[in-house]
Amino acid sequence: MSTISQIRDQFEPLSASGHYVLKNVLLETGFNKEGDTLESTRTALYNVEIEAGHIKRVWQGNVNAADVIDGKNYLMLPAFKDMHVHIDKTLYGLPWQAASARRRTIYDMIAYEQQIIPELLKTSAKRAEALMGLMQGYGTSFARTHFNVEPTSGMQSLENLQLALENQRDCFDAELVAFPQHGIYYTDSADLMKEAAKIKAVDFIGGVDPYGVDKTIEKVLDFTVDLALENNKGIDIHLHDMGKEGLDTVYYLIKKVGENPQLKGRTYISHCYVLGRLDTKILTDVAEKLTEAKIGIVSSIPFAGLVMPVPTLIRHGVEVMVGNDNIQDHWSTFGSGNMLQKAQLMAELYGWTSEYDLSRALRFATGGILPLTDAGALSWPAAGKKADYLLVNASCSAEAVSRVPKVMALAHKGNLRWL
Amino acid sequence: MIKNNNNQSDRPQGLSRKTFLKNTAWTLIGSVMTPTLLKAEKGRAMPADNRSGMEKEIGSANRTLLKNVRLETGFEYDQLEVVSTKTALFCIALEGGKIVAVLPNNPGADAIDAQGLLMLPSFKDMHIHLDKTFYGDKWQAIRRGPGGIKGMIALEQKILPDMLKNSTYKAEKLIELLQSKGSGYARSHVNIEPTSQLNSLKHLQIALENKKSTFGAELVAFPQHGVYYTASAPYMREAAQSGIDYIGGVDPFSIDGAIEKTMDFTIGLALEFNKGIDIHLHESSQSGLKTVEYLINKVHENQVLKGRTFLSHCFCLGRLDSERQAEMAAKLSDAGIGIVSTIPFGGLVMPIPTLLKHNVKVMTGNDSIVDHWNTFGSGSVLQKAHLAAQLYGRKTEFDLSRMLALATAGIMPLDDKGRQVWPVPGDAADFVLIDASCSAEAVARISTVKSLYHNGNPVF
Repeated sequence: MSTISQIRDQFEPLSASGHYVLKNVLLETGFNKEGDTLESTRTALYNVEIEAGHIKRVWQGNVNAADVIDGKNYLMLPAFKDMHVHIDKTLYGLPWQAASARRRTIYDMIAYEQQIIPELLKTSAKRAEALMGLMQGYGTSFARTHFNVEPTSGMQSLENLQLALENQRDCFDAELVAFPQHGIYYTDSADLMKEAAKIKAVDFIGGVDPYGVDKTIEKVLDFTVDLALENNKGIDIHLHDMGKEGLDTVYYLIKKVGENPQLKGRTYISHCYVLGRLDTKILTDVAEKLTEAKIGIVSSIPFAGLVMPVPTLIRHGVEVMVGNDNIQDHWSTFGSGNMLQKAQLMAELYGWTSEYDLSRALRFATGGILPLTDAGALSWPAAGKKADYLLVNASCSAEAVSRVPKVMALAHKGNLRWL
Repeated sequence: MIKNNNNQSDRPQGLSRKTFLKNTAWTLIGSVMTPTLLKAEKGRAMPADNRSGMEKEIGSANRTLLKNVRLETGFEYDQLEVVSTKTALFCIALEGGKIVAVLPNNPGADAIDAQGLLMLPSFKDMHIHLDKTFYGDKWQAIRRGPGGIKGMIALEQKILPDMLKNSTYKAEKLIELLQSKGSGYARSHVNIEPTSQLNSLKHLQIALENKKSTFGAELVAFPQHGVYYTASAPYMREAAQSGIDYIGGVDPFSIDGAIEKTMDFTIGLALEFNKGIDIHLHESSQSGLKTVEYLINKVHENQVLKGRTFLSHCFCLGRLDSERQAEMAAKLSDAGIGIVSTIPFGGLVMPIPTLLKHNVKVMTGNDSIVDHWNTFGSGSVLQKAHLAAQLYGRKTEFDLSRMLALATAGIMPLDDKGRQVWPVPGDAADFVLIDASCSAEAVARISTVKSLYHNGNPVF
């Protein structure tokens, strides 16, 4: 019942930008403890001055400024970041279509993509914008998005995505991962990947199941790592492979990053389901090595059958980031687009039910930023930080994570819109 | 620089950005339905605040007509696979709380305009505690103390007197939340124990009375603190005679220390007062399974309980191997005992597909929305159906469409063969209008409920 023509530019005008003061915003200021028990989160109303995309001043008391926005006592939180999503390739904005049971293997899916992508590309720029709109409605203004690079799309999926991002530049930013969805060698994608790697806007060299798709772990990872090194990019590889091949892939990437320390802190494995099936001893070894190599894990937080050992990874110091992945496409139709919902899912899945644990879970929605330190000191917002924030109808972070309340306003680089 | 006032009422009329963002492609631009729009339309819609005279007023002369109502009419097949769901627009006539006619669409009719939204049976939350919630009150995270279930009972003894002070108000707020998510009906457990005595029930009954034209409920007398661990038996007897529908229970072994004595009391009370049974069973060990088997035997001995007996949670089924799960499912089916599950995930997963395969009645509910047990409840059973679809890998058009039964406590527009079975004249006029093209989409996307009708009354 929907067509692309029904998607319009429906973004509200900016409520504020440039230099302004936000008054009556609720900030978290500490934890209330009773003995050893953390009872609640302390909050107070503040004023926040924004200038040139940054937070200039945070204070309580009188406001003497011409341009004042009333924050209406809403809680101010860092804007959300979706760290794994495919904005370029979605069915969002097209008539409803469920996944098919006929396409069972990755090769079935590649064949299907080869068939549908030419059609999807015709409207992908507009629908990418619509998807960003959905995400913004839930408070997300930044994404790490993968974009397809394979012989069917060529550079077109990237180009359409860039067009959409350009249109959304006041309210949304992204980092881009060149994603050889159809394999480097299974389809002839190596040269296309080399071309994509040279593009300045591309931040990461992607990959997918070196064994599962190309049937060769080392050759594919060597190619990926070399491309990242040559072009000074990061790495973010989709790894769904389980068992020995999955684990071999993780260890080989750890080895390569060890040999090329410039990749440390810039290398990620998305999904990495194999970690969900390891016994404690091997998992501990892998987690320690991932930490040492500064390789992060990006997860969409699966819960059907396989559960990722996120608490163990965190305990060992592995960087864990979260994203929606598929929102509505031919892979999955279940994504909400809501990062707060992901944080809630994690809290429920991993039993983070206390005020403290819930408050810490917020970082999975914000890409790591938390208003309060673990000790309960105010660390955000503070002068000099980016003015990427949102206002939410909640009394504290813990409530926001647990209840997934409505996001009332979102600001990107200081550009504020009421939602 | 401030470019415009952020006062929302100053914003231009029309499709708000929020609506656009949430519904993007399924909402026809410029045709967003609002409750006021609905009520302002011609037809027999009543103002929401004038419901008291409604039941009398809707008589044979008072027919409500809706037009441009989207109904599912069948499945589209490609060979054997259902590839999409066929829909068409209809007029629907309501009268006396019933759907009285399903007519060909007439866009020019003097009728309430459903604007192409999909009509589905309204949702039912079949396990919730409306009487005992923090909802509508100040946020507080749970503070799980020591002592397991008995620690929780001690906590309740401490906090319930305070919670009861405004429990009618909070129950009404919670009902409004459920309604906003498309539920017009709930099976609510009600604490019956020496601390609350019958007050939790009485307070909830006031709330339900206040909401009666827009919300229905059946009540379970729930001895949260054990029948014998605290002296609740006399209160349970009194409750059984005070407008409740089911005799409840909770973990007979771990709370009361004996399966048979508590179960015999529960079953005896149900039989004596002609009530159903709905027992919370969290025990996942041997005692849980023994309780299930004891109940199955008792229901066979007392056939009147068949189809009226339910086990809520019943986690012990999730701990069995698949062969034993199938065996238990067959036994439950045979005894007509239903399972009510919140669809747990992560640590324990319920064998819901196996239960359904054996025709066990499976229903779902939110249980806690926000209280001292759990703070994660959304209030949406459509979200529960979505969760089940994801958890059990039900992602195709057909499989997604079947999951709707969890949200509606069994009713689906199309049967498994794709024949239209709802709505038909005589069905209760309990339905939602939802921003989706079909059931499968509604389940996968947790589509927005735009309107709810209960007993023929527009709720919003």
